[in-house]
Amino acid sequence: MFATKLERPPPPGITIVKSDNLEEWQMDIQVLDSNPLYLNQIYRLKFTFSNKYPIEPPEVQFIELAPTTETPRPIPIHPHIYSNGIICLDLLSSAGWSPVQTVESVCMSIQSMLTANSRDERPPGDKDFVSYNRRRPRDINFFYDDDNV
Amino acid sequence: MEQTFDLPDSTDWLDTPLSLVAPLESSLRCQVCKDFFDNPVITSCSHTFCSLCIRRCLSTEGKCPACRSPDQELKLRRNWAVQELVEAFQNARASVLDLARKAAAAAKESESEEGVTEPVTKKRKVQAEGADNGGAAPEGVRTRSRARGANPHVDRVAVEVIDDTTDEEYVPEDGLVACPICSRRMKNEAVFRHLDSCNGAGAPAPPKPVSFGSLQPMSPASRKTVDLTNKPLERLPIINYSLLKDNVLRKKLKDLGIPNTGPRPILQRRHTEWMNLWNANCDSRNPKLKRELLRELDIWERTQGGHAQQSGDTVDGVMRKDFDAAAWSTSHDDDFKRLIANARKKKDAAMRPKTPEAPAPASQPDSLPILEATEATVPTHSQPPEPLPVESSAVSIAEHEVPVLQETCDSKMANAHG
Repeated sequence: MFATKLERPPPPGITIVKSDNLEEWQMDIQVLDSNPLYLNQIYRLKFTFSNKYPIEPPEVQFIELAPTTETPRPIPIHPHIYSNGIICLDLLSSAGWSPVQTVESVCMSIQSMLTANSRDERPPGDKDFVSYNRRRPRDINFFYDDDNV
Repeated sequence: MEQTFDLPDSTDWLDTPLSLVAPLESSLRCQVCKDFFDNPVITSCSHTFCSLCIRRCLSTEGKCPACRSPDQELKLRRNWAVQELVEAFQNARASVLDLARKAAAAAKESESEEGVTEPVTKKRKVQAEGADNGGAAPEGVRTRSRARGANPHVDRVAVEVIDDTTDEEYVPEDGLVACPICSRRMKNEAVFRHLDSCNGAGAPAPPKPVSFGSLQPMSPASRKTVDLTNKPLERLPIINYSLLKDNVLRKKLKDLGIPNTGPRPILQRRHTEWMNLWNANCDSRNPKLKRELLRELDIWERTQGGHAQQSGDTVDGVMRKDFDAAAWSTSHDDDFKRLIANARKKKDAAMRPKTPEAPAPASQPDSLPILEATEATVPTHSQPPEPLPVESSAVSIAEHEVPVLQETCDSKMANAHG
């Protein structure tokens, strides 16, 4: 089952929530050190695989589950994570992606991206982006890659 | 979907006393497809991948997926040592794993008294069920026969490997020679006449028929082609598509014997895929028939090619002939308006560089290339501006922020209308 996308067992702080098909997986991740921004929080990542995976990157974003649910999953605060869950990480863009990456390695990269952060803020222009954006992360990636302003 | 649980995987070893075999198996697997190397080739940066995997990567990106150094498919070389390692490992795998699992089960049983026949893992249970023909003999006695029952074929092959080395050179001293196709033995002078009519079938079993099979786990059909053609397959050259007109490209595809219908981008991608399939097949010790490659191309066509448009390709959607420009403009109307507004703002800002909205290009030399206008709105830094900590080269933070999309959106709009 995990043969193509994940080595078993997942490393600490990473758990599989849903992997019953080859189009969409959900993973829960936790930051393991004592970074106060993320302490005792669990975040949920959604992976969407195109039929060109692994030549092309999966679409990865955080998804939110309301605090009232049994398993509340907020969107982590980070200067590169928009409040709608879209992650700005070059590893996930088609320019930064490499087919040797796996679900596990992506989760670990996002874990360390959180661990290393100390800024309690959203990306600049978050509000605008969130209210205007109707695209899927993959299409947005296309835009940033294509431009080096 | 159930069968996917039975996919062999390097982690199969982890619950056994042979857990150290897991990294060994991992290293015999391609980092791209995560399966055992299939026709392994080595890049000029010394990384090994399946021939087809690395060809697909290089034709997409031109870089080694492991280290990102630029490479060309022309520089790929076959890595036969790895191929032999993989084949030998695969031959041995089932029986060794079975043994290891039995050892694990035995250890577990001796630990807990009540666990009489409880299988250790799901996978093990599947195998045991297939093999159990009733007897309730104690585990230790049954082990051997059960292993054979569970997977007779693999077991047999694995055993044969042992005396294989000598067998390959084995020639019965009867003064006859074997037909390279059907292995029937005949007089030396009869071979060439026989070759004209030999179809490889109906041959009587040669003295040691199996000595060959264990090292060549291919179907007899594909083995035959090697001997039949007997000359190296010619590789297909890379085409610079931009130099070819539509009809020339179509003719090229037709000459290659592959479908030549569909819009231009599909033609190019189909040709690339065919070239990859074909050239990877040239790296094979047991090349497949063209017919089989065509079937693989057809699978590609249905999953990723011309017949799979609806599922992917939102990115180059605007390039499609049937692209619905009107719908696109409507659905992105807000975006376009905002982008135009943004562009105006930016232009104004550029004219009055001292306004608060002005770009602040030099203020943060080490910062990410965020769109200047928005960067200026970031509250003045409570901490000294520092580059974001980056864990490893693989974990670098995105270089470009989303507001940047205005530039490319403009060009996309041009596409949409053009």
